[in-house]
Amino acid sequence: MELNTIKDAFDRVAKKQKLSSSKTQEVMEQLGQEIEQALSKIRSVHDNTASQLDHKLILTELKTKLKEIAPLSHLEGTQKELNIALSKYPKLLEKSFNPDLAKAYRNVDFDIHTVNQIIASHFYQEGLFDLGDCFLSEAKEADAAALKTPYLEMYQILEAMRSQNLEAALNWAATNHDKLQQNGSDLELKLHRLQFIEILQKRGRDEAFKYARTFLVPFASNHMAEIQKLMACLLWAGRLDTSPYSELLSPIHWDKLAEELIRQFCNLLGQSYKSPLSVTIAAGVQGLPTLLKLMNVMTGKKQEWQSMKQLPIPVDLDREFQFHSIFVCPVSRDQASEENPPMLLSCGHVLCKQSITKLSKNNSTRPFKCPYCPSEVEAGQCRQLYF
Amino acid sequence: METLSNGTTASPTATATVVSSATVTAPSSKLTQLAESLKLEHQFLRVPFEHYKKTIRANHRIVEKEMSAVISSVAEAADGDLSREDAVQHLNSLVSRLQGLKRKLEEGSRTEHLQAQRCRARLDHLESADTESLSEWNNTRLTRILVDYMLRLSYYDTAIKLAESCNIQDLVDVDVFHEAKKVIDALQNKEVAPALVWCADNKSRLKKSKSKFEFQLRLQEFIELLAFKSSTECATYKVLFETKQWDYLVDQFKQEFCRLYGMTLEPLLNIYLQAGLSALKTPFCYEDDCTKEDPLSQESFRNLALQLPFSKQHHSKLVCYITKELMDTENPPLVLPNGYVYSTKALEEMAAKNNGKITCPRTGSVYNYSAVVKAYIS
Repeated sequence: MELNTIKDAFDRVAKKQKLSSSKTQEVMEQLGQEIEQALSKIRSVHDNTASQLDHKLILTELKTKLKEIAPLSHLEGTQKELNIALSKYPKLLEKSFNPDLAKAYRNVDFDIHTVNQIIASHFYQEGLFDLGDCFLSEAKEADAAALKTPYLEMYQILEAMRSQNLEAALNWAATNHDKLQQNGSDLELKLHRLQFIEILQKRGRDEAFKYARTFLVPFASNHMAEIQKLMACLLWAGRLDTSPYSELLSPIHWDKLAEELIRQFCNLLGQSYKSPLSVTIAAGVQGLPTLLKLMNVMTGKKQEWQSMKQLPIPVDLDREFQFHSIFVCPVSRDQASEENPPMLLSCGHVLCKQSITKLSKNNSTRPFKCPYCPSEVEAGQCRQLYF
Repeated sequence: METLSNGTTASPTATATVVSSATVTAPSSKLTQLAESLKLEHQFLRVPFEHYKKTIRANHRIVEKEMSAVISSVAEAADGDLSREDAVQHLNSLVSRLQGLKRKLEEGSRTEHLQAQRCRARLDHLESADTESLSEWNNTRLTRILVDYMLRLSYYDTAIKLAESCNIQDLVDVDVFHEAKKVIDALQNKEVAPALVWCADNKSRLKKSKSKFEFQLRLQEFIELLAFKSSTECATYKVLFETKQWDYLVDQFKQEFCRLYGMTLEPLLNIYLQAGLSALKTPFCYEDDCTKEDPLSQESFRNLALQLPFSKQHHSKLVCYITKELMDTENPPLVLPNGYVYSTKALEEMAAKNNGKITCPRTGSVYNYSAVVKAYIS
């Protein structure tokens, strides 16, 4: 596809359109003039006594003249050129693009309510509360706003953080202390650290020390090094920017912390960090070209396509869409499953259980050659792997 | 299958040229991917063009009609027996008629101009996609897809609001759907007139696609005229009077409408969702410990994917349980004595922090780093 060619083709259409439009103008102008001329002629013969005949003559003259000019036939030429350009351009589009995206569409009914719910959740997750509300009321979905309240809370916390207010964030982190710890997140400590630095900068050493004693001490057992660093900051009160710890003042910490908060908040909500709708659509954009190519070779097998349990070809997606470990046996090309798990041979190569059974002729002590190296291995010595 | 893989390998060289001038640094696979995704934008360019074409045609029809009317009116006057005053008056009326036409045309060409600009804006938007600033472009695409969905489902207010909030009015087809709205609203009120007008406006194109829509409209109109309405008990006829018939007509109209403008018959959202879900769907998505980052961990997405095929892999793709990073030759998988596999990076880091000890996060077993072995995945 060459966008420039398409642009050129469109410019041609626009040019022909202009041409046709000015030609129309011109012809119309001419027609008007002729009529007005005739009109003034009739008027000018006003005093003439033989006028009865004259105005008829003028009208007939006008009629023949208009016939001669044939204004509409003048337009035909430019119109024809315009029409050619108009029909060429969509053909070029069809050639350069995939004209029918629905070719790979499976005729299953997508439940409208489910889709609407997904869209509303997407709006709420992105912080577009007005749009979400508007959408739900227009789509007449009454109870799809479940995620609105929690996301409202999240955006309020973030809003406060933007104006350097950590109160709400700290409250939230304290309430969810246990869950955060389960996730292995040190978000709470990071928030306290930021608050500590804020106090140190704005309210001085004593206040900061007090804060540390109340809020940082509980973290001492697990994060000694971090706490020690913060205590050292107390010595640099008032001139932290020239201290070895000036890095702590960087505004980057705020951004990073906001991101971490969103991540943890969504996680505790049972939601993903990125809107699942955007992720799926992005995956769709990457996968669709392959599916459309597949449909080109599947012509005549439309029926088969509608009922397939698995895609006949791999659809390659970027790294970011890889959420699960998938082991494909290099011998049988089967995807590993619970019944057919991946096994580690003693030489370090990995095959699926069924392949090993076949290679060893179902004898656990009979050595067989690894298909990937010269080692002799035994089925009995193979270990199941968990990815 | 072989022909297909040949096809996919052949295309990069052909398509990569599109954007190669824009960015030289990005890897060619990214460029190919971008070029492939741009090829999906047929409707994006087609719809405004069809709209533009329609306006041009309509304007031209007006000119033709009015001009020939003026000419034949002159002829009539010349052949008739008009008094002088009448002749003057007649010509005067023709002059003002032409002036009216002129005004109409000026207005028409303003619309044409706006629509041509819209076509250009879309071309420019496609051109503006490059691998550097793709995420913003992708967000806009999602918004466009959502607006398309809302317009098709007649959620006009939200559609307009969303387009305005993202300032992409030129990139969505709100105007085009305005025309549809009138017809749909009328059909929902059991009125066929606007739909019939629409059919008349698009007669030749509907004929070309062998559409039966007009016939169905007439049929419905006829049924509504019948006096013994809905009182019939005969099942064959009773069904004709059900309100469902009107919903059916609305659906029919939407289909014809989309066909006429070169749109996909399904909302873009559904098409992309299906493709995405099929590509993402694995048996692991339905397990309890499915990561929340996977859209298919959500009940709603699982429901949509229920009737879609699973994805297929020809090669192993292993993701480290701890770091969620890909385990490949650069970060090869290591096996603990209990058979659990983690990436080298994750285990090295853990060993460094804990004096060479490794704790399996899933079983809690503790091992020495020296006890792990490498697994070779081919």
